[in-house]
Amino acid sequence: MKDLSLQTIHQVQTLVHSEALHLDAQRWDDWLGLFTEDAVFWLPAWADEHRLSASPERELSLIYCSARAGLEDRVWRVRSGLSAASKPLPRTSHAVTNSVVTLDSGSSDRVVVDSSWTCHVYELKQRTQHVFFGSYQHHLLCEQGHWRIQSKKVILMNDLIPTMLDFYCI
Amino acid sequence: MAVSLWVEVGHEYMLTSPPGDVRNGSDLIDDRPQDGVFRVHRDAFRDPAAFELEMQRFFERGWVFVGHESQIPHPHDFVTVRIGRSPVIISRDGQGQIHALHNSCRHKGAVVCQNQSGNKRAHLCPYHGWSYASDGRNLLIKDKAEGDYAPAFDLDDHHLQAVARFGVYRGFMFASLSSDVPSLEVHLGDVRTLIDLAVDQAPDGLELVPGVVHYRFRANWKLQLENTIDAYHFASTHPSYLRLLERRASMPQRADAPKTIWQSQNKPKEMMGSFGLARGHAMVWTTTPVENHPLFEQRAQLQSRVGAVRTQWMMRTRQLNVFPNLQIASSAAIQMRVIHPVSVDSTEITSYCLAPVGEAAQKRRQRLRQYEDFFNPSGLATPDDTTIYEDCQRGMASGAIEWQQGHARGMQRLVLGPDAHAQELGIHPMTSVSGTFEMSDETVFHAMYRHWRKVMA
Repeated sequence: MKDLSLQTIHQVQTLVHSEALHLDAQRWDDWLGLFTEDAVFWLPAWADEHRLSASPERELSLIYCSARAGLEDRVWRVRSGLSAASKPLPRTSHAVTNSVVTLDSGSSDRVVVDSSWTCHVYELKQRTQHVFFGSYQHHLLCEQGHWRIQSKKVILMNDLIPTMLDFYCI
Repeated sequence: MAVSLWVEVGHEYMLTSPPGDVRNGSDLIDDRPQDGVFRVHRDAFRDPAAFELEMQRFFERGWVFVGHESQIPHPHDFVTVRIGRSPVIISRDGQGQIHALHNSCRHKGAVVCQNQSGNKRAHLCPYHGWSYASDGRNLLIKDKAEGDYAPAFDLDDHHLQAVARFGVYRGFMFASLSSDVPSLEVHLGDVRTLIDLAVDQAPDGLELVPGVVHYRFRANWKLQLENTIDAYHFASTHPSYLRLLERRASMPQRADAPKTIWQSQNKPKEMMGSFGLARGHAMVWTTTPVENHPLFEQRAQLQSRVGAVRTQWMMRTRQLNVFPNLQIASSAAIQMRVIHPVSVDSTEITSYCLAPVGEAAQKRRQRLRQYEDFFNPSGLATPDDTTIYEDCQRGMASGAIEWQQGHARGMQRLVLGPDAHAQELGIHPMTSVSGTFEMSDETVFHAMYRHWRKVMA
């Protein structure tokens, strides 16, 4: 079992924080660049009050992308100018905190980062705001000295969705 | 536009001052078939007094959808819902019988069952500890013997009060707060044949896939009822979704994205049609390329089980409104959408994915992905609808404009009564229309608003 170095902890926390900053700054290409091509992105639905959908294969998700291409679809849609829900884009501000890093399967080039997040959303059309909040679990992989996201699971605690939700709101 | 009288407090709403003149339903519908005119007044969407009347007449005095039987499969399973403004428990008792019960303790009124769903033999009121069995019977009045009650106390029963009417059709559960309603069979009418088309596509019936989606938009509930049966909006509201499908199709390496029913190698000219049914119900159907339909591979078995005509109908998209609060969308997946009006300009939706019992893993996966892409408020199509409902509601604040111009397409094609398509299905709609997809009929709304006017008058 390898140890987790302070340098690794710093690098992976920086990655998770940078991801949120990219979303708020609408740097979509930089955001996509943090994911491996086969990255899984999963926002499960709630099955009841305290049970999440257990499997994206058998149960319903709010968002499930089994590859980065699914996230690229969403970025394409936002940029297309063809989606009423995406223009004008709301302004968002993420805060990611309580992040705890652990080694994934004892390998020094794989870690899991668990964290809490909030995202304030300001809707320009209606001049109203709301907050989504929940937790993240990132599985990160180090390839040639660079950490990238191999999977991201987002838990949304307040799942009564006001009008719409997209990747940049969570 | 009148100032909103309703103040939202959590899921409930309170009247801040008495409603003013309640607009008569017939003032809000301009129905002159002889002149080729059918118009709906914008106050139907923006006047709090009209909303109050809708709550009383449709939601508190009529049949309302309350859930699907597969939500409570086992003895003592329950779900809690609202009918109009009343909290209700739908509970299966130990013998398997389902009860619709007012979720309010007979003692002081507290909501007895606080959970959205679960399994309980007894429901204990958190206030003074009265308890009730899963069939609503009172089990305990705490310290009754010591309470020095007068004999008159037991002249009333102490059970959870049953909702006046309850009925189930093929797993779909309905209830009415008033006993003064026709039978559920009469209320549903031809809707039963259309529910059969959804249920019979699976040999063992349908079940709810675990995972419930909740969303809310700041617009009138009837915009949702209209939108689902509005073929006209599809191409102009959802170009990002349709272009995305083309984009995916052009990327042969995309193993992550399932093909959808709207994709095809050779696109035939598609057709659409509509049925305006009695008591506010309606359906719109469209043909789509069948080769990516979930039923395509089993069509031979299906034909031998349900016949060629019904097989063909099962592979068409069908958007069914069961007035006032249930929508069943059968396209790439089957969606069950439940509408909860909150106030004149606020609506909550609960959305479920229905799927065949015992569906193969690969089929289930494909169904889920298509459902999530299209029907979720976090998907690639529904957010454009909900956002635009809000645009409509904000636009309708222009009180100077009285009448919508959105119920007129198809007037020249209208058939009073059943057309050949309806006859094929053996149903008897008030109005039928069919034509090209681009014709995108709007007369489908007429029967709904005629029912609305009658009940609101």
